[in-house]
Amino acid sequence: MITVKNLFHSYNKDGNYQVKDVSFDIEKGEVFGFLGPSGAGKSTVQNILTGLLQLQQGEATLGGYDVKNMSKDMFNKIGMSFEQSNVYSKLTAKENLHFYGKLFDNPTRDPMELLKLVGLADKADIRAGEFSKGMKHRLTFARSMINNPEIWFLDEPTTGLDPSIAADIKDIIKQKNKEGITIFLTTHNMFIADELCDRVAFIVDGEIKLIDSPENLKLQYGDKLVKVEYFQGDQVLQKTLSIVLPEDKELLRNIIENHEIRTMHTKEATLEEIFIKVTGRGLI
Amino acid sequence: MKLFSSFVKELKIASRGFYFYIEIFMALLILVLFLFVIPDNFDSKKSEYIYLDMPAEGSEIYLKAILDESIEGKAEEVKVKINKEEKKASLYTTDNSRIYILTSREDTIYMADKERKIAAIIGMDENYNFHYEYYLQGYESARYKDLLKILHVHSSDVIEEAMDNIEVRPLLINYDSLSDRENMLPSILVFNGSLMGLFIIAAYIFLDRQEGVIKAFALTPTPVWQYLMSKIGVLMLTSIVSSFIVLLPLMKLRPDYLLLLVLLITTAFFSSSLGLLIASFYKDIIQAFGTIYIFMMIMILPNIAYFMPSWNPIWIKIIPTYPMLEGFKSVILGSGDTSYVLSISAGFLFAGMILFALANHRYKKTLVV
Repeated sequence: MITVKNLFHSYNKDGNYQVKDVSFDIEKGEVFGFLGPSGAGKSTVQNILTGLLQLQQGEATLGGYDVKNMSKDMFNKIGMSFEQSNVYSKLTAKENLHFYGKLFDNPTRDPMELLKLVGLADKADIRAGEFSKGMKHRLTFARSMINNPEIWFLDEPTTGLDPSIAADIKDIIKQKNKEGITIFLTTHNMFIADELCDRVAFIVDGEIKLIDSPENLKLQYGDKLVKVEYFQGDQVLQKTLSIVLPEDKELLRNIIENHEIRTMHTKEATLEEIFIKVTGRGLI
Repeated sequence: MKLFSSFVKELKIASRGFYFYIEIFMALLILVLFLFVIPDNFDSKKSEYIYLDMPAEGSEIYLKAILDESIEGKAEEVKVKINKEEKKASLYTTDNSRIYILTSREDTIYMADKERKIAAIIGMDENYNFHYEYYLQGYESARYKDLLKILHVHSSDVIEEAMDNIEVRPLLINYDSLSDRENMLPSILVFNGSLMGLFIIAAYIFLDRQEGVIKAFALTPTPVWQYLMSKIGVLMLTSIVSSFIVLLPLMKLRPDYLLLLVLLITTAFFSSSLGLLIASFYKDIIQAFGTIYIFMMIMILPNIAYFMPSWNPIWIKIIPTYPMLEGFKSVILGSGDTSYVLSISAGFLFAGMILFALANHRYKKTLVV
């Protein structure tokens, strides 16, 4: 559905590239996470794919359309939820969606239905300028669905939202993915990526360091550990032991046989830990 | 349909904003000023203060000569405030001036010295010849001073006779003209319509940039030119409404309103496109303000030539507001030169199209800036 080959981009066109030799493919119906710290080049790649930035070097296709020569039809098939909310503050929530819907050639969704979906139905007639940051973000998210996109670009879709709203947004994303929509998710939130993505790409300094599924990454890079808390007399002791190393396995067996266990958990490496391990960089 | 939707949206946004009402408010304010404050024709009469330092017989001859020129054929007894004191004076009103005959030399000198008025003392010698003392303010031109020096070389009878023998023949007599007040209207139309449009459209663009909505628009199948054109549409409408608010009550049915509409639309299109192009180079209005200010100042320059026809260098005619002023004047006259108005309208349309194409190209390239 999305193909990117040897993509380079330099804002000053001076050979100092902000995106360097980026290549990847995204299958139809896949949720692809583009992960990296701020300034890594995530938004640049996304802006090139959506036509907001001109493709300078390399190849990219979106739903069969060449990104270099953007077709009007292609825009009917894509949706984009921006990280920075960008709605008309002087228009009401409903007017914002109603106007945006008129700009597409294909049938669009009912604004009220979308507002209901993101929990803004009771705020439909209030001007977006009076909204909180989170409400504007939800309106921007709702707007990205107005044209029933086949390819959905989501830039930090849950940033700044309270946990219950973020959970609702994640449910909507999962539901849309079940309907077969291809999702390109840009984020630095590894928990979201872990929960939603079929595959993730780690991007640092404009280069993709790795592409794989979260499960494979955990298997490949995560340490197989057990964290155990047990009683020794009146004291509660805690140990983190490898289930691979023979001496740790022996120690674990000894603890189980001779002590009362308080808690015991297997400890999986998080995507964030793997990211740091692979790229040598944090996510902030 | 998409263009219309964009236009309706822009109209809603404009009607809920600040700039839309500035133009309408200014138009109403101008109308009120023109209707109730500004006179139809400005009073250009000069006030002159004269003391006749001569025997009564001589004064009578002189005053009779002034009386012959006065409009009402009689003098009016008035009081003039001189050095905090109200003093009696005789006022003679002629076509060009108000002549106050004062009663003392000191009062006359006081009016020249302290009140900065035109003053003269006319005396008579023992041979019954008039002699004149003029009190000047220092700013008078050399030509004026020279004229005063030679004015009394001959007696006034000789000068008068010479003037009567010179025939002044106008080449055109059946021409339409505007009153002083009406003559200001083209300048108002250019400023409130076109120049404000240049500034306001830039403000609209920067507001959209700040909100980031132009990026969202760019991800739709609707071309960017429709987004830009919808903004221009609002500016055109505002220009038409504000111009009609001023013109209809003042000029009634005299102007050719259809021709006015053509000129308003094309000039608004030109200036809005120029505003769009300027705004495309900057991120916010603070950065753009200097350039917009320079452009607006240049555009205001032809007003000087309009109100002072003696200063009319060729280069000023290149500034677009020059033909705008002439075009609006022609339309307001009613019996103006239709082909001239249509030809400059075509010029503004063509120039506007070029500017609009350039602006469209710039916005397509700088969407994420």
